Amino acid sequence: MADTALAARDLRKVYRSITALDGISLEVHSGELFGLLGPNGAGKTTTVKILLGLTRPTSGEAEIHGIPVSDPESRRRVGYLPEGHRFPGYLTARETLSVFGRMSGVDSATLSRRIPELLERVRLEKWARVRVKKFSKGMVQRLGLAAALVHDPDVLLLDEPTDGVDPVGRREIRDLLQEEARRGKAVLVNSHLLSEIELTCSRVAILRAGKIAAQGTIEELTRRESRWRMAASPVDDALLAAFRETGAGVERQNGHLLLSVRDLDHVNALVDRLRSRGASLVELSPMKSSLEDVFVGLFRPPDAAPASGSKGEKR
Amino acid sequence: MRTLAANIEDVFREAAARWTLVAYFVLSSLFILIFALAVNLDIVDGALAGARLFGQSVQMGGQRVDLDRLVIGFESGFSAFLYVVGTFLAIFATAHLTPRLQEKGTIDLYLSRPVARVRLLASRYVAGMMLAASNVVYLVGAIWLIVAWKTRVFHPRFFLAGLVILFAIAVLMAFSFCVGVLTSSTGVSIMTTYAIFFFSAIFAGHEKIEAAMAHEWQAAIVRALYWVLPKTAELGRAAIALVGGGRVPRAMAGSLTALPFTTTAAFGLACFALAAWLFQRKDF
Repeated sequence: MADTALAARDLRKVYRSITALDGISLEVHSGELFGLLGPNGAGKTTTVKILLGLTRPTSGEAEIHGIPVSDPESRRRVGYLPEGHRFPGYLTARETLSVFGRMSGVDSATLSRRIPELLERVRLEKWARVRVKKFSKGMVQRLGLAAALVHDPDVLLLDEPTDGVDPVGRREIRDLLQEEARRGKAVLVNSHLLSEIELTCSRVAILRAGKIAAQGTIEELTRRESRWRMAASPVDDALLAAFRETGAGVERQNGHLLLSVRDLDHVNALVDRLRSRGASLVELSPMKSSLEDVFVGLFRPPDAAPASGSKGEKR
Repeated sequence: MRTLAANIEDVFREAAARWTLVAYFVLSSLFILIFALAVNLDIVDGALAGARLFGQSVQMGGQRVDLDRLVIGFESGFSAFLYVVGTFLAIFATAHLTPRLQEKGTIDLYLSRPVARVRLLASRYVAGMMLAASNVVYLVGAIWLIVAWKTRVFHPRFFLAGLVILFAIAVLMAFSFCVGVLTSSTGVSIMTTYAIFFFSAIFAGHEKIEAAMAHEWQAAIVRALYWVLPKTAELGRAAIALVGGGRVPRAMAGSLTALPFTTTAAFGLACFALAAWLFQRKDF
């Protein structure tokens, strides 16, 4: 496992009588793209703000590369893109990167080399000398990403990075983040866009009312271990009856059998029955749900009808 | 050091972009222009021509007054006026520095950098002081040049007024920063700072106010307020006394003691310390 770039342990944040965070613990490793999901008010932004020292936790601790987040030095290796950020409109794109780069301790020689590179990476090279107040929302967002990268940080904390960006731009930002992760950087993305997270991140945590409701790799969260898709030949009613005798649920769908089983041994038992009847196994795969299914499943009211078999790895 | 430089650049760029810098210098220039026009009036020209003719003295109220003495008298009196104008303009031009910094979407960008909060606040303060100092130098320097050009009397003590003005600005800006951190409002910062300027001046006559109080505890409150608040009236008198040197009335020269400066400096330091403490503790 790569080294831990960012760690939070049992973070709690109470605003007067409101508990915004209630024991959040997470780790993000170098080279990893980690997604933080949750509905409004779940505590995502509070978590990020605590990690940046913008807000102090009521209890618990967090550190970046082993440095407590209360120490400003911990932010030397952090790039942050806040949601709804407001860069000074009177600065040009180049000046913005220069001012914020120097605030991060980057020398002028390095900046004069890095700024054009970054502007090119976020496709703003032609806008280098244009004042930010002339920029569209998507352009400001891309500039924000460049500002987060200007001091070549090891950890990136991004709040809704694709907000207001067109589909092509979104794809480019995804590619850029994946490239940064490949370069060994730890990237934490805070987003409402589940599909974006699913496409970008390798691991996610879903927050609900200040707690982590589910955490794991996308694979772990979306795998439905009790549901399998089988294609076999021939399939007749006798075979289905033999399957049902074991307690498995069986449905036919578009030439496939959808099997509801207890566990992996149960699947193997069904395969044995299939073979003993002389039928051939054509395909057998675990069924996966989308991250959205998992998300909706977690936030569905207890009395609501379940979505089509979705299930997350609840903690 | 890079952080400080970047912050100072940011403050000056912001001031220029938001027309604060332009308005600040335009108002000062207007003031200088009115002064230049006033000293070019025929009556002033005539008096000065007479002075040059009759050995550097002018006829005033039936007696001849030495031109050097007249210039020093004018400059020392005028320094009190500049003290009020310079201080007010400076507070007006810098009161936005902390409220704008704390705006949502802006503060995150600054605090996510590896800069301690107190250092960030201090760098804004230094930038504000540099902005104010540039204007005070311009204002005092221009008036001094006009007087010197017109009278050929070069009186460098006039620049001491600039130092007193900067001292007062430093203290009042610390107060303005404290209010700015607390309320995040530029308007409230300006109003309260102007209020403290006038309110403190009233307490210059604290002995008379104390004597008029019905109870001792009321007098004690007045006395305490006098010692706690900045000595804005005394500083104005100190500017006059410093510029005038030995040529100001005895009562005015007597006000030139260290006490108004030390107690006012203590008020400024306390305000900045409180601003820093509040800024350090604030959740954004």
